[in-house]
Amino acid sequence: MLEARGLTAGYGGGRIIVDGVDIDARAGEVVTIIGQNGAGKSTLLKGIFNMVPVRRGSVSLDGAEVFDQRPDRLLAGGLAYIPQNHSIFPKLTVAENLRMGGFLLRDQRLLVERIGEVEAMFPILVERRDEYAAGLSGGEQRMLEIARTLLMAPKVIMLDEPSIGLAPRLVDQVFQTVRTLAEQGKAMLMVEQNVKKALAASDRGYVLELGQVKLHDRADRLLADDRTAQLYMGARPGGTAPSAEAPEGRP
Amino acid sequence: MAQALLEQIINGTMMGSIYMLVALGMVLIYGVMHVLNFAHGVLFMVGGYVCHFFFTQVLDSYLLAILGSMAVLSVIGLALERGVFRRLRDNLRMQVIASLGLILVIQNGVIAIWGPNALQMRITTTDIRVPIGELSFTLQHFLIIGTVGVTVTAIWLFLTRTRIGTALRATSQNAEAAQVVGIDANRMYVASFLIGCALAALGGALLGPLFLIFPTMGDLPLLKGLAAIIIGGMGSIPGAIIGGLGIGIVEAVSTLYIPTDFRDTVVFAALIAVLLLRPQGLFGVRVRGEA
Repeated sequence: MLEARGLTAGYGGGRIIVDGVDIDARAGEVVTIIGQNGAGKSTLLKGIFNMVPVRRGSVSLDGAEVFDQRPDRLLAGGLAYIPQNHSIFPKLTVAENLRMGGFLLRDQRLLVERIGEVEAMFPILVERRDEYAAGLSGGEQRMLEIARTLLMAPKVIMLDEPSIGLAPRLVDQVFQTVRTLAEQGKAMLMVEQNVKKALAASDRGYVLELGQVKLHDRADRLLADDRTAQLYMGARPGGTAPSAEAPEGRP
Repeated sequence: MAQALLEQIINGTMMGSIYMLVALGMVLIYGVMHVLNFAHGVLFMVGGYVCHFFFTQVLDSYLLAILGSMAVLSVIGLALERGVFRRLRDNLRMQVIASLGLILVIQNGVIAIWGPNALQMRITTTDIRVPIGELSFTLQHFLIIGTVGVTVTAIWLFLTRTRIGTALRATSQNAEAAQVVGIDANRMYVASFLIGCALAALGGALLGPLFLIFPTMGDLPLLKGLAAIIIGGMGSIPGAIIGGLGIGIVEAVSTLYIPTDFRDTVVFAALIAVLLLRPQGLFGVRVRGEA
């Protein structure tokens, strides 16, 4: 469904953050990218979505090469991206936020129909339809972001740390929503810091280190893998992890 | 006293309407592009000159001259956005320098074309007097207030009721989010500059016949417009509208109590007071990530 090959991405001045990454996500699948701060997780998603100044490699969507397409073309083609934290429009109402999600839809009847569909999925958005989005709680804002994305009926959704800043109960709810969307046939590619819960909700996972894929496996195997455990969840006291150079987990 | 107060309120509403046009244009451009365009005042002034040119040389219709001036300034705005500000995107310092440089270039360009002396534009609406009680105002006063009222209402409806207008507000609130929902930032930049410059032209074309048309006629409207958007809250559209109108009325009414020479001082004292008491402005919100 979504496939990136040899993707290199970075910013001005030759700062390469993501270095030759191969990654894919298939329909019906939740794929999670984990890695420490600065590993290049967010830049990887931005690189796929053509939002960084420096990039090389290839990106294909549904078998078609889309590397050079602008973000709005990618979105129209079925690839959606939810950036990290606060991608709502704070001083637009919830209803206006949803309508902006369908900005590229020319067919107003279809837009209204789809808004009805996502409102059925997220009833809280109906209750607060005429309020400024800034007034929503963190969890509600995340639901609004996801709902807004669904208006373009994407085949692939990339989410950058959907659980960040949320209470544990809401984290479960967000991952449940991600699972549900995968079961509806979408490919879900997310970046997460909440490694345990994210992998538990995923089919496959990638471990990114210094801009390169270090490990790639089924999510349950990664969860059980000592290297993942040690590096990204902190060393377990008396655990089986070999006490290598970073027992505390580096910052 | 009541007579004098009424007189100053009407004068103030008229000038406030002009400030409103300047402030609304600046705040649209600032919100979407994060460019504080200091050249907005000279664009206002050019709007006055172009209107004068169309009226005296080509059209002999004030309405058509105004529309012509707005059209010409839209094209100039488009050229400035493409040629200057888009290239300096995300470079605040260079944008400030560029907009200050544009003031020099445009002001001297106007002097080169039309000379340094003030031009007069005689239209019937400045000769017709409208009596109100013992007072009398030019019809132009009410033409300005009415035209600005209609224009600002139209802009407001555009921003709140249409797809493109909502996208403009969305872009000014969160540029990254606008990009991920598929709003093309460049189109929004063009739209905001186009509207902003057309509003500046309208201001110059409306005020020109009442006073005179001269190379520095846009300087005070620029400063008052700037004060209006700071008082209203940077980026707030209702703030710019109410700030502009408020400044016009406050400075006019102040002349009843203190010497006219201090009129501008009153405005900037009010600006300082707002900054001290409510730094985010009357309608502003504290921006996340800023203290």
